[in-house]
Amino acid sequence: MRGRFRPGVFWGSGVKRASVALLAVAFVVFALLPRQSQFLLHQIGQPFADLVAIPIEGMAMLDRDLREWWMRHIALQGISEQNHELREKIRQLTGEVNQLREQALTGERLAALLEFQTDESVRTVAAKVIGRSLSNWYQGVILNKGEDGGIREQMGVITPAGAVGRIVRTSGATSIALLAIDPNVAIAGMIQRTRDEGIVQGTSQGLVRMKYLPPLSSVKKGDSVVTSGLTGGFPRGVLIGEVSRVEESEDSLFQTAEIVPAVQFRQLDEVLIVISPRSPEAMISLEQALVSPGHQNPTP
Amino acid sequence: MKISAYAVFILFLFSFQATVFYFLSPFGIQPDLCLVLACLVGFRTGQVPGVIVGFCLGFIQDLFSAGPFGLHTFTKAGVGLLAGVFAKNLANRASYAAFMPIMACSILSAIVFLLSSRMGMGLGEMLHGFSSILLPQAIVDGLVAIVANWIIGRWLVEVPSA
Repeated sequence: MRGRFRPGVFWGSGVKRASVALLAVAFVVFALLPRQSQFLLHQIGQPFADLVAIPIEGMAMLDRDLREWWMRHIALQGISEQNHELREKIRQLTGEVNQLREQALTGERLAALLEFQTDESVRTVAAKVIGRSLSNWYQGVILNKGEDGGIREQMGVITPAGAVGRIVRTSGATSIALLAIDPNVAIAGMIQRTRDEGIVQGTSQGLVRMKYLPPLSSVKKGDSVVTSGLTGGFPRGVLIGEVSRVEESEDSLFQTAEIVPAVQFRQLDEVLIVISPRSPEAMISLEQALVSPGHQNPTP
Repeated sequence: MKISAYAVFILFLFSFQATVFYFLSPFGIQPDLCLVLACLVGFRTGQVPGVIVGFCLGFIQDLFSAGPFGLHTFTKAGVGLLAGVFAKNLANRASYAAFMPIMACSILSAIVFLLSSRMGMGLGEMLHGFSSILLPQAIVDGLVAIVANWIIGRWLVEVPSA
């Protein structure tokens, strides 16, 4: 490679000058008014997103069919299908066991302290994963349900195996969920055994870490971590993963735990989007119980 | 006709990257095909087509990405423009000549994403992003660009001599 930079070439014609100037102006507007320009671009892009979703869905279907065909006809006929079914069943049962364990603990505490029962049924919408993150910088998936299906930003995404992530962008027919292994996602979590709460956040290494655990917490390797349900998006008791290592530092006020996620993020096919972490009836009964004159605050 | 062909190709490329291509990523690093295409258009046909194709590709990518809206739009348009500038100042137009300019474009684009996605997460996260995503992706993008540039030059269009 040889040659040297010639500014005349760069500023050659009027079209070039105009396009560069337009790009520069657009960039300045974007930099100075990020929120407004992002909103404007998002609004302009909505119809395009629905249009582009069609070939993505087609390609995803083709991809799925091809993979299924490969698994059935080339790689281990029958056995692979059976294995897949069993794995799916184990995943579902693991999720159910954890949900039930959590519900039982919650039920016991509430029944003893508050003397009322709540219906904590969660409303969800099933969605298919039709695409993956287009950038190495964000770990996300494209889902085939959007605003038309009642999906909104910040809703939680789960599977029977555990917590998956959070919705960060929606269009009419699709939505983007950022996975729990992304550093930009934070979920309120809790150690199931000790009831210690913390913030579960992804790392650049593709791991999940639980931060801000109390220094006196007896958390140990193998403990299950579930969602605490304190912040929006997720119901209480959805499995996040299992503690694989606890970091205790004398310099730090808190403990940090490394977690092995319960969900296999590379093998996501279908997910559930949490429309409402608690049913409206449960919320009303909870509010009524808390404001009733005879109610006393439970002691820890 | 040319615009329709570009539009169809962009849609195909985008769908391919969002679905099948994910499973072909070596060591978890997938090349940014949209960036490579924007750069190659700028590299082969000049700044203006590079900016336009980059802008369109980036805009579509933004619709289906998790980061702040507009990042892909402006970085892709910018790299399309830069690739055009690089190409005008290069005497050598062989396939392998695309490696360094497109790697440079990929690095510049990735710096924007590094700052956007890892800002405020500490130096460790920034350095990890630099060494495990930014650099490998730039190399992979450069290598993919060489192959794509060779294919375009060999089978799709006659390469004008510099």
